[in-house]
Order: sequence, then structure tokens, then C-alpha cells
Amino acid sequence: MTDRRIGVYICYCGGNISDYVEVEKVRVAISRDPGVVVAKTTMFACSDAAQEEMIEDIKTNKLDGLVVASCSPKLHLFTFRAVAERAGLNPYQYVQVNLREQDSWAHQHDKDQATEKGIRLVRAGIAKCALTEPLSTMRIKTAPRVLIIGAGVAGLRAALSLSDMGLSVFVIEKEAEIGGWVGKFGSMFPNDRKGIDLIGTLAGEAGQRDNIKIFTSSELIEKGGSIGDFSVVIQVEGKEKISLNVGTVIVATGFDSYRLTEGEFGYGLDGVITLPDFKMMLDKSNGSLAFNGRKIKDIAYIYCVGSRQPREMENPNLYCSRYCCTAAVHTSLEVGKKDKSIHQFHLYRDMRTYGKYELLYNSALNNGSVFIKYADDDFPKVERAGDKVHIKVKDLLSHGEEFDIEVDLLILVTGMIPRKNNKLADVLKLPIGMDGFFNEIHPKLRPVETVIDGVFIAGASQGPKTLAESVTSSMAAVSKSAALLMKGYVDLEPLIAKIDPERCVWCDECTKACPYGAIEKVSADGKEVARIIPSLCKGGGTCVPLCPQDAIDVEGYTDVQITAMIDSLIKEVK
Amino acid sequence: MTRVDSKFIDEIKTSESFNASACMNCGVCTAVCPMGLDILPRQLFRYVIIGVEDRVLENQETIFSCLMCKMCEQNCPAGVNITENVRTLRTYISRKVFGLLRN
Ligand SMILES: Cc1cc2nc3c(=O)[nH]c(=O)nc-3n(C[C@H](O)[C@H](O)[C@H](O)COP(=O)(O)OP(=O)(O)OC[C@H]3O[C@@H](n4cnc5c(N)ncnc54)[C@H](O)[C@@H]3O)c2cc1C
Ligand code: SF4
Ligand code: SF4
Repeated sequence: MTDRRIGVYICYCGGNISDYVEVEKVRVAISRDPGVVVAKTTMFACSDAAQEEMIEDIKTNKLDGLVVASCSPKLHLFTFRAVAERAGLNPYQYVQVNLREQDSWAHQHDKDQATEKGIRLVRAGIAKCALTEPLSTMRIKTAPRVLIIGAGVAGLRAALSLSDMGLSVFVIEKEAEIGGWVGKFGSMFPNDRKGIDLIGTLAGEAGQRDNIKIFTSSELIEKGGSIGDFSVVIQVEGKEKISLNVGTVIVATGFDSYRLTEGEFGYGLDGVITLPDFKMMLDKSNGSLAFNGRKIKDIAYIYCVGSRQPREMENPNLYCSRYCCTAAVHTSLEVGKKDKSIHQFHLYRDMRTYGKYELLYNSALNNGSVFIKYADDDFPKVERAGDKVHIKVKDLLSHGEEFDIEVDLLILVTGMIPRKNNKLADVLKLPIGMDGFFNEIHPKLRPVETVIDGVFIAGASQGPKTLAESVTSSMAAVSKSAALLMKGYVDLEPLIAKIDPERCVWCDECTKACPYGAIEKVSADGKEVARIIPSLCKGGGTCVPLCPQDAIDVEGYTDVQITAMIDSLIKEVK
Repeated sequence: MTRVDSKFIDEIKTSESFNASACMNCGVCTAVCPMGLDILPRQLFRYVIIGVEDRVLENQETIFSCLMCKMCEQNCPAGVNITENVRTLRTYISRKVFGLLRN
């Protein structure tokens, strides 16, 4: 038996639940359960009137536990925690039972069984609630400073926006020059603005801000602390070490261009170069184009080099690099501006100049560029003969007829690959996706957050992106950082692991299991035991089943709570 | 193997009246051709666009068999000037092969 005083509210959800679960029956069945003092049904538990009624009941009946059986906690966990709080009840003594997604919506064909399951679920919620204890969130003061890693367009743009909001920014760049790829390019799509000018403007602006400090030839070598209060050490020019205290970290380390092996698509032959190299060459040339002293009259491009590779290859890059079709088409328009008489052959697999970039494709088509579609499993072959490069390609639009094209220059349209940044990933413990780029938690729902709280990713470090897309994601990382730091503090959920030092014998099993490094060794009463670092623990519970001493529990999901829930679930209903 | 000859592209291009870049190879033209000219126009135009003169010259018969009825052109969803293109090719062949026209 229990001496707890629990209030239970079962929601109709306007028919969403009550059409398939006999809500009144559920109420009657659980109303005599141990600890239940109030048991009510309600049309909409989340309505203002219902919330007020709960508050009133909690106060007058001196309730010390609250159960609402309604929709998913994803929707209303915080609503009802707030109800508890407003009534003077600890919000962690509130338990939500999901009667909608887990019951009524799942069993629309069988009202009796759904009702029975509803009774069991609510009963389990009550049993858990009877074992709750008051918990409090941990409030951490945040440092109003951000560390940005990588001074490409994504990093620089983020720095300026954070500075606009009054936050201090440290930017570290591995190279001696800032600007990343964009800083190396001339005219870029979509509006022909020069990359060099764009970076010049951003850098000029950043240089005038007192609250932005840029370190070049620098790297992050250590990271400690946690969200809102990281302590990091950077090494400048391989020598001087600087310690900083920052609230959040934005990783904007960008990408690398696909590296070809000798002979791949003729790479290594005179007259075969990559798109980045050609772009830089084109930007420098004035008037007519020449390569190794020879005037260029015919150009070919081979698309999808290093992207969308065949599965049977060793470690293939399966993804589309998104930027390259458009970049190559745009580059060919730039070529046309310099010399209209140059013939340009585009050997593609699929033309993916998506959205408004299709206009560029149309211009190229109308300006005389020839597009030839090759098959996924039959790549163009390249060889050199005399002072020309010969490409043999089967054109799918001519029923696979093979053509021999002779050009002065072949441009390999290389895709984006992840930049080799093992050291950084190691220091930050950043998860890396299947494609080798840094992984966000969810591409749609949490697109710039990582599993490391307070560490965000932005730009092409996340995966292939155009300039505009890189800046968009860096703005998302800025708003995430600013929302956190401008409040001045962050509240952390107390639903984390705790270790019983009496039982712990420091066997080290748990530390090895924790993916977040949230367990440390401490001395307590003369013996070595494990301790949870609250700000790092996410309450995932990987450590719990591994502890041979049963010394670990996760708050809110303790062994006794889970056992009590199971016992109630299997109780006789009728 | 068919050799691409970019000079041919220039020669046709300078006529300005040939334009098939909008063609998306759907085949509607072939389907409605009363003469059943199955290489005309899409395959033939592809040879012109890519720049293989040999293939174009091999198909003189077809090029001169066209009725200029504009059935294909009426039905082309991409608005390719099919008959005007065929006329350009005839002019080209008349000049290049038969020496009938002066520049
Ligand atoms: C040939 C080519 C043409 C393109 N043309 C266009 C175009 O016309 N239009 C368009 O929209 N996009 C274009 N792009 C894409 C564009 O370049 C990218 O979208 C953009 O560069 C991404 O910016 P970023 O800041 O994320 O990455 P990056 O430009 O790669 O910058 C990342 C920076 O981080 C630094 N860094 C990396 N690791 C570390 C570390 N551990 N510590 C410190 N610093 C580090 C790097 O040195 C670099 O300066 C083109 C790309 C290529 C290759
Ligand atoms: S953007 Fe184009 S060239 Fe690049 S991988 Fe995708 S389809 Fe291939
Ligand atoms: S109908 Fe028009 S678009 Fe379709 S294949 Fe013929 S010419 Fe090309």
C-alpha cells in the first residue's frame, strides 16, 4: 500500500480517445487503485478550464502526485508539468500516460480490448507516480561567448550575426588565410557575385568588430565543460596555447573536393583538370583561354566524378553532391562570356540543377552547350592523342550510340567529400554519418544540433551544400546559440543516471559504455567510486544494465518504478 | 564509333535558323509522322546538336523525304521549329554536297 495522494485525469481528447476507449470504464476501474484520491474524466485535459480544475484539486486535496492519461508527452508533457508547478506540486511528480497514440489510434477495430489496454496503461502510470520523488532541474549559467571553428563563408557569416546580437565570438581557422573555398573563387551562381569580394566584405566587417576575434593557423586541441560553459584550448600557429571559456561551439569546417586517383577519368593526363582548378584558372584569365600555352577551342565536362559512385566500388560515395551540376553549368556560361566560339560538351548522368538553378541550365542550352547523357554503368573513357584529349561516350539519347569527342581541355566535375578532420571529431566527440560528414540529430526537426549539447554544426561540414544553403544553416546555428546564451542560463533535465556509492566497487564497466563521457572516478569515504557528471549525462541509461552491482538507476525510470509498472500492467483487469 | 566534328556545329549554328536545343527526346514527332520517318526529327537533330556530320549526310534520303506537313511541329510539346530545321539541313546539303548554292 501507499500513502501517496494521487489525482488521475483521463482525457476524451474530443473523441480521439473516447471513440475507441470507454473512458468512463477506465476511470471506474482505476479509481480504487492504491494512492488514487481523485479520478476524473475530461473532454480536453489541455483546455484552460481542465487545467484550472486540476490545480484546484491538487490544492484542496493536498495531492502529491498527478497522472494525466491523454495524448503523447511530445505534445503536452510540458503543459502538465507546468500545471503541477502552478499548483505547488513538483513537476517531476507528474506522469503522462499516452492513451491516444499508444491505445485509441492503434486499436480502432476493437473497443473492448482498447479499453482493457487503457486500464492497464493508466494503472502502470499510477504505480510509477506513486514512486516519484521531487526532483529539480540544474541551472547552469551560460558564458555569452561562442567559438566558431572554420572561417569559411558559413563561419564568418555566423560570427557577424552573433556579434550583431552582442555576443562575443572567437573564430579559429586552420589555414593561414580565412575564406574557405568561396574566398578562392571569382563569379559564382546564382547572381555572378565574386566569391573573393563576398569574403572580403565579410572579413572587412568582422575586422571592425571589437567582439570578434579571429585566429588563423589555429586548431582546437582540448574541450572540457559542458553546454553553456565549455572550456576550450586552442593552439595558435603550432605554438602558443590559449584557453577560452565559451557557451556554445559552432563547427563550420566545410568540405574537400573529391580527390581522384591517377588514371581515373584520365586524371593525370595533360589537359585533364578538376572543376575547382579550372574555375580558379578561368577567374585569372582575361580574354581568350589557353592551357599549357595552347588556345582552347573545345571543352568537355564529365559530371558526377566522385559522387553517386557505383555500389560495388570500394567505399563508394553514394550521395549526390548537389552543387556540382549547377557549378559546372554556371562555369560554362562564364566560359561563353570570355569566348563565345568555344564548343562545350557536357557529359552528364542526370542534370540536377534544381529549383531556380534550372534557368542556368536553360541558358547554357540556348548558348550552344551540348549535353550528352551517359549511363550509370558505362562511364566515358578518356585518353590522350597528340595534343588533344579524346573522350568516348555512349549517348543514351541517341540509343547508346558511341561518339568520339576531341577536346583541348577536359574538366572533371568533382563532388564534395568530407574534410579529413579526425582530430577535431575526436576532441569534440562529434558523431560522423555514413557519408563521412558530421551528423545532425535530425535533418528536418533538429537540423544543426548534435548529440553533444551546445555544439552545433553548420555549412558544408554537414554535407554538400551551395553557398546560400551553407549560410542558411549557419544562421540556424546562430539562432540556436543565441537563444541559449542570451537567456543567461540553461536548465538541464534532472532525469539522469545516479550512482549508489555504497554499492559501486569501481569496476569501470559503466565508463566504457557511456557514449557521452559522463561518468568519472571520484573518491568517496576512502574508496573509489563512479560519479555521474550531471551536465553531460543524457539519461540514456546505457550504463544501467551493464553495472554488475546494480548500483545505477536513471531518475524517472528507476528499477523499482519500472518493476511496479510491469506488475500493474499484468494485473487482472476484470 | 562516330567522330564529333565541332566545325560542323559552327557551320550549322551560323545559319541561326537551326535550333533543336529545346528537344527533350520525347518522340511525339516520330509517332505522328505520316511518312513514318523514324529517324526524323529527334535522332537526326541529336546528330546535328552533337556535331556528327557523317551521320547527317548518311540520312539525306530521309531529310529530302520529309513532306513539310508540320504535323510533328504542331504536336511538339517543346516547340521545336522542326520544319525550319529540316529546311536548314536541306540548304546545307544542297550547298555542301551538291554545290548548288553559293554562300
Ligand atoms: C568548384 C566549386 C565551385 C562552386 N561554385 C559555387 C557557386 O557558384 N555558388 C554556390 O552557391 N556554391 C558554390 N560552391 C560551393 C561553395 O563553395 C560551398 O557551399 C561553401 O564553400 C561552403 O562554405 P563552408 O564555410 O561551409 O565551407 P568551406 O568553404 O570549406 O570553409 C571551411 C573553412 O573551415 C576551415 N577548417 C576546416 N577544418 C578546420 C579545423 N579543424 N579547424 C579550423 N578550421 C578548419 C577550412 O580551412 C575552411 O577555411 C562551389 C564549390 C566548388 C568546389
Ligand atoms: S550535382 Fe550533378 S554532377 Fe554533382 S553529383 Fe549530383 S548529379 Fe552528379
Ligand atoms: S516532339 Fe519535339 S521535343 Fe519531342 S522529340 Fe520531337 S522534336 Fe523533340
